[in-house]
Amino acid sequence: MSALLQVNQLDKHFGGLHVLKNFNMELHKGEIVGILGPNGAGKTTLFNLLTGFIPADSGEVLLRGQPIRQLKANTIVGLGMARTFQLCRPFVGLTVLENVLVGSLGPRVKTHDIGARAMHLLAQVGLADKAQQASELLSYGDLRRLEIARALATEPELLLLDEPFAGLGSSEIEALSVLIRQLHSEQHLTILLIEHKLREFMQLVSRVVAIDFGEIIAEGSPADIVKDPRVIEAYIGKQNPLNLDNHA
Amino acid sequence: MKAFKGLDTLSSIGGLVALLLLGVLPTLFTGTYLVGVLTVAAIYGIWAVSWDFMSGLTGRENFGHSLFIGVGAYAAGFLNVHFGLGPWWSLPASMLVAMVFAVVLGFPTLRLKGPYFALAMLSSAVIMQRLMLIFWEYTGGEEGIHDITPLIVNPLHYYWFVLAVLGCITLLLSWMARSRWGLILRAIRGDEATCLAAGLPITTYKIVSLVISAAFAGLGGALYAHYQLQVSPQLFAVVTSITIITMVYVGGMGTIFGAVGGALLLTVMTEGLRNFGEWRLMVYSLLLIFILFFLPNGIIAPIWQKIRNLGRPS
Repeated sequence: MSALLQVNQLDKHFGGLHVLKNFNMELHKGEIVGILGPNGAGKTTLFNLLTGFIPADSGEVLLRGQPIRQLKANTIVGLGMARTFQLCRPFVGLTVLENVLVGSLGPRVKTHDIGARAMHLLAQVGLADKAQQASELLSYGDLRRLEIARALATEPELLLLDEPFAGLGSSEIEALSVLIRQLHSEQHLTILLIEHKLREFMQLVSRVVAIDFGEIIAEGSPADIVKDPRVIEAYIGKQNPLNLDNHA
Repeated sequence: MKAFKGLDTLSSIGGLVALLLLGVLPTLFTGTYLVGVLTVAAIYGIWAVSWDFMSGLTGRENFGHSLFIGVGAYAAGFLNVHFGLGPWWSLPASMLVAMVFAVVLGFPTLRLKGPYFALAMLSSAVIMQRLMLIFWEYTGGEEGIHDITPLIVNPLHYYWFVLAVLGCITLLLSWMARSRWGLILRAIRGDEATCLAAGLPITTYKIVSLVISAAFAGLGGALYAHYQLQVSPQLFAVVTSITIITMVYVGGMGTIFGAVGGALLLTVMTEGLRNFGEWRLMVYSLLLIFILFFLPNGIIAPIWQKIRNLGRPS
């Protein structure tokens, strides 16, 4: 089975800082994979490189075998890879519904009735009753849902979520986890996500790629990753405060 | 479910009534003074509404709108006086010339971030004004081009014509602003990166919007040239762009019809303040500061919103 997304030898410097070193990764259709790593490990940079928001120095990114590294960010969305932002970026001055509608105006969207679809997406993420509100007035948790609804409106095949749980309370995290699982199981989306909230993260993903200083330090099932000494050292410290045995 | 509402009946009726009132107004008074003031006001309305379509919706403020006005007016002058073409040719020609300038300027400048687009457009207008003086053999220098033939000789009829053009442009741009196109422009104003994440080619949308905006500014320039019957480098003046921007702010930015209201209001206000003599500019400035400070959404758009809400159960 060929990979939906394949990353070969992707490399990026910010000035003298080598933020991503010969990064290799494969993502298959239907997978839900997590990128794990401490702050500054290069997770968001990886997302920005994959989605064309910043140019890579060298390497190759293939989506369904098609090279996309040189393509513009908006073109890549048109090929079926959508993303959310770590810091929510709603369209200020637009209503919640309009925010989602904008996502439906891209080249990939085949839906005829984008209004109905936008409402359907809002209902799916639990924002239907706030459709006519100004988006900048939403709570942090609602903004995250809006980000996801907007990304879904582009009708992606592969969804990249940049720290979807950041800044959320535990009940909000739970609800969002349910939503992500639904997207994966019911709509057959392939999902790549970055996260810090370890417990929820580990329950959600089927495979983890742990990175530090722009390099992959471990790769495997969540259960294996939390036992990997390099991961524990890089991400968690010398001892294991995770206590994941109860959950994993 | 309809994703875009389009023009609602109430707005269309309101616009039509306003247009009719403006058309009838000068017939109630004798003399041509009021016709002149209103003609200029309507031309400013065309400039303001065209500015609002691009800059009001996307938030990319164009401080060089006078450039498109100027090239449109000069295109009219050149064709009419130097090439002896009939005055009606000015209308398509001025739009075309302004559109060419918008493409040439828009490609490099609309990729710029922050205030650089505004600065680049401002400088371009200043450069064009200087070029008119440098190439005085062709442009007539400070004197400009004289003896342009009028489009319509009767001032009242010409005013009606300009008013009709203003009405058509406002209708078209209002409709566009409420379509998917307008939503994308407002989204660009919100966040460009998110637009890219939505798969939208934002530079294309910005350039095409600037081209549309320029076309109508140029058309307004030609209408002005055929009203004044002369063009001069003063048309490129930065103060014209600033005046237009002020009109849009006073009317209500990004609302299209508000820009027309702002243009009419400020032109009439400028005339009305003639009684203040040398204090005129000061009173004008104070009024503007008052409006911008206390009514940040402008005057015209919020008033219209109030009127609309009257008919609705709260």
